[in-house]
Amino acid sequence: MVFFLKTFISLALGFVALSASADGVNIQIQGPWVLAAPPNVKVLAAYLEIKNNGDKPQILTNVSSPAFEQVGIHRSVMHGNTAHMEHLKELTIPPRASVVLKPGGLHFMLTDAKKPLHIGDQVPMTLNFKDGGKIAVTAIVRSGQIEGMEDHQHMDHSGHENHKH
Amino acid sequence: MNNQSGVLAKRSLALLLVVAVAVTAVIGWWPGKNTVVQPPEEIEDYLFWQAKDLTDFKLIGANSKTLSLNDLKGKWSFIFFGYTHCPDVCPLTMGVLGQAFRLLEKDPAASQEIQGIFISVDPKRDTPELLKEYVAYFNSKFTGVTGDTAQLDALARQMSALYTIHPREPEKTGDNYLVSHNSTVFLVDPQGRLYGRFPPPQAPQEIAEIFIKIRMFYNERSKKRWFFF
Ligand SMILES: [Cu+2]
Repeated sequence: MVFFLKTFISLALGFVALSASADGVNIQIQGPWVLAAPPNVKVLAAYLEIKNNGDKPQILTNVSSPAFEQVGIHRSVMHGNTAHMEHLKELTIPPRASVVLKPGGLHFMLTDAKKPLHIGDQVPMTLNFKDGGKIAVTAIVRSGQIEGMEDHQHMDHSGHENHKH
Repeated sequence: MNNQSGVLAKRSLALLLVVAVAVTAVIGWWPGKNTVVQPPEEIEDYLFWQAKDLTDFKLIGANSKTLSLNDLKGKWSFIFFGYTHCPDVCPLTMGVLGQAFRLLEKDPAASQEIQGIFISVDPKRDTPELLKEYVAYFNSKFTGVTGDTAQLDALARQMSALYTIHPREPEKTGDNYLVSHNSTVFLVDPQGRLYGRFPPPQAPQEIAEIFIKIRMFYNERSKKRWFFF
């Protein structure tokens, strides 16, 4: 929530950067969320958009969360109709570009939840970059409905999730 | 005279034969044309060219309840092979299917005939009790089952839903390993035949709308079969 408030305030004030890594290159994180799953599952996935506003590539090397034993950078790949997951050692965000983690593709694999998570729960995460930069984000647990329905849900929820837009 | 009437008889016989052949052809052609109901274009890609009979299987659900081919009969079954340690594709697909089932509630007749079956191909970690809780989260019409490798393999092979359990990644500890699996939602008809499939990525609206059309086509076709054959 704090993260969203910050996003909101910085956007409102016209600041783009949420955090700056060691060499002063800006990385911006947008819309972090965790796909809700039954409370008894041990593994969840987190998604977000990483935007590199700088002139140099940024390399994400590690992600951690106090809510999970382990966080990995993963990618789901379809070979025909067969879904595979592969582990990535690092994730490069090219200069002036963004990398989007979304269902069915890139995700942070959150392994061994310390306690069951429910819709609306917050998951703090820290993204560590190769140059030493760190970004703290808070992802919200929500269902993975398709865009149109999401919007519908937001309306139903009397704007309680509106900070997202 | 005798000769002439013989020719006449032969001629009438020939004429009769021609008429008989023509009538038979018309009768044969008429219902035949009606019976070969072509699937509407929009559902063609979702249907198997020919419905495929499945051989019996035995999978295990919660409270040691078994699931066999007989349990698929009389209902439309939406079948998905996955595993609960899959955080991305599985909850996404199950969520989509759950939502599709809710959309189908608008069609009570269709809604009454559907069931969802999640088959875990990871029996080592997914117990039937865990699966029960897992599927209930997505929809009350879902059943979670698993089984021994031989049973899982036999059914998966019939649906061409092959899966692979990968060795644990070296840097990871504990019980962490990945499983590749087909993320198609398979559709089995009320006769227990593999009838259609929804390939990934699926959308709730798509599944609901296509299923309504598939069911309509199926009912239409079996009605015609019933009357003419
Ligand atoms: Cu993963």
